[in-house]
Amino acid sequence: KMAAAGGLRRAGWRLWRARRAVVRCQQYPPLRALQGSAALRAASDEHKKEPWASSSQQHFESPSPGHQPEEKPQGPHPSYTGQGGQQSEDYESEEQLQHRILTAALEFVPEHGWTAEAIAEGAKTLGLSVAAAGLFHSDGSELILHFVSDCNTKLSELLKKEQKLVQLGEAEKKPIDEFLRDAVEARLRMLIPYIEKWPQALSVLLLPRNIPSSLSLLTSMIDDIWHYAGDQSTDFNWYTRRAVLTAIYNTTELVMMQDSSPGFEDTWRFLENRVADAMAMSNTATQVQSTGEAVVQGLMGAAVTVSNAGTCRAVR
Amino acid sequence: VYQVFENVAKKYDVMNDSMTLGIHRVWKDILVHKMNPCPGTLLLDVAGGTGDIAFRFINYVHSVRQRQLQRKLRQHQNLSWQEIFESYQNDKFNNSLGDSQVVVCDINREMLKVGKQKAQHLGYSEGLSWVLGNAEELPFDDDKFDVYTIAFGIRNVTRIDLALQEAYRVLKPGGRFLCLEFSHVSNPLLSRLYDLYSFQVIPVLGEVIAGDWRSYQYLVESIRQFPPQEELKAMIEDAGFFRVDYENLNFGIVAIHSGFKL
Repeated sequence: KMAAAGGLRRAGWRLWRARRAVVRCQQYPPLRALQGSAALRAASDEHKKEPWASSSQQHFESPSPGHQPEEKPQGPHPSYTGQGGQQSEDYESEEQLQHRILTAALEFVPEHGWTAEAIAEGAKTLGLSVAAAGLFHSDGSELILHFVSDCNTKLSELLKKEQKLVQLGEAEKKPIDEFLRDAVEARLRMLIPYIEKWPQALSVLLLPRNIPSSLSLLTSMIDDIWHYAGDQSTDFNWYTRRAVLTAIYNTTELVMMQDSSPGFEDTWRFLENRVADAMAMSNTATQVQSTGEAVVQGLMGAAVTVSNAGTCRAVR
Repeated sequence: VYQVFENVAKKYDVMNDSMTLGIHRVWKDILVHKMNPCPGTLLLDVAGGTGDIAFRFINYVHSVRQRQLQRKLRQHQNLSWQEIFESYQNDKFNNSLGDSQVVVCDINREMLKVGKQKAQHLGYSEGLSWVLGNAEELPFDDDKFDVYTIAFGIRNVTRIDLALQEAYRVLKPGGRFLCLEFSHVSNPLLSRLYDLYSFQVIPVLGEVIAGDWRSYQYLVESIRQFPPQEELKAMIEDAGFFRVDYENLNFGIVAIHSGFKL
């Protein structure tokens, strides 16, 4: 009877796994309940009989229904099956665990660079084996991408806070050039603790394999900044504005890499100049546009005059 | 199985080279590269008899360690000579392997003997331990090792699921399971060539080189009987490992399975 239940569970498990294998193609793996490394293992027998029941509801929300927490197989290991009810069920998904390892690894980056060694040290601080660094690519790409997306999230929150202050009337709304300058400066300042190894990170981000992710992170950050700057336009200007700000951000970042002035003041001055250039350029653009319109109108007027003169002569 | 390997022990390496035309060295190199160990890793190499994986692991960790020390030295450029000298005093206690260790475990005493001799011959002195043990019932405590490898050994285990459970038991949380083994070739043309080679050439080589075609006949048959990649992957997942994956080398002649204890 136990064998049948075991077989049934295993079949269900395989089915779930097959579905998971399909879903795996997506960018982010589905949440999969697994036991936290420091947590005690739970393998109560009731769970085995009813895999879909209470356990999946207890824990965090999962996108697909019927998520089954990982359990110990029934086998000649009394040390596991015996400890059913006493232990806390501390499940987290694989993705969350990876997230934790990468966050812990960041503090070792100044020493080891953006490498698997830093990830291994990070895993060690969490109580995991250094072999857990094998979960990630050996060139440290995931660590860098994780850091970049972290910075973008922090920037978002900062901008949202500022916006709230403005809405509450506690702060002045900044003029557009100052807003852009402050946003880019705040974002670039997050690189300062890792500035020595950042060129290495940039080169890794440019690897063909990483370009889709790094590009999407960059564009979403730029979009964010423009959104909080009050940009609601969806016309042709949308592309130019993003291109302009992306160029400003990238060039300032590169300048920052080789800046040795105290407090990076050269970089901030460069940034100020670039933003001013961009503002002037947009004024010129509107001027050109209105000049263009004026020219066209003039031509139209001339054409009408000529045709009128022609008809008048014809009439006469 | 025990007697097969007793006969085979002394000529094991020679036979490996001739059977696989030396490619087995590359396979083992790829395995260690995939492992990417950093100094301070504790490796358990099961069924690792003659120590191939163990030696490669030591070489790899040694070179990583050298690079680390060089990097540290570069940071010392700004220090005075006295400070550099003092740091040498501290470094003396860090061995060249950075505290990494390999435990080679095999069920067969003869294989371990050959392995020990090889180690002496090649000059490997530190970081190696040789233990007699059965993969289905390892003589080690729980949560001890960072990496567990079994290269061309798991097909000789009678109860593979027990071996996998033991692997899970002795690994630390976060530890990695790596298995290098002959597997199934999916490409039909290659499969036919491979079959031809295995059944016609290998036993003959066995007779000529080691004087024992029966053991090698057994070897080839056990390869055919071994579960294919997906099935082995499912068995590894059943033992509790996460992120189980396999990498086919040479179109499936050999496959590396990897799983993590999370």
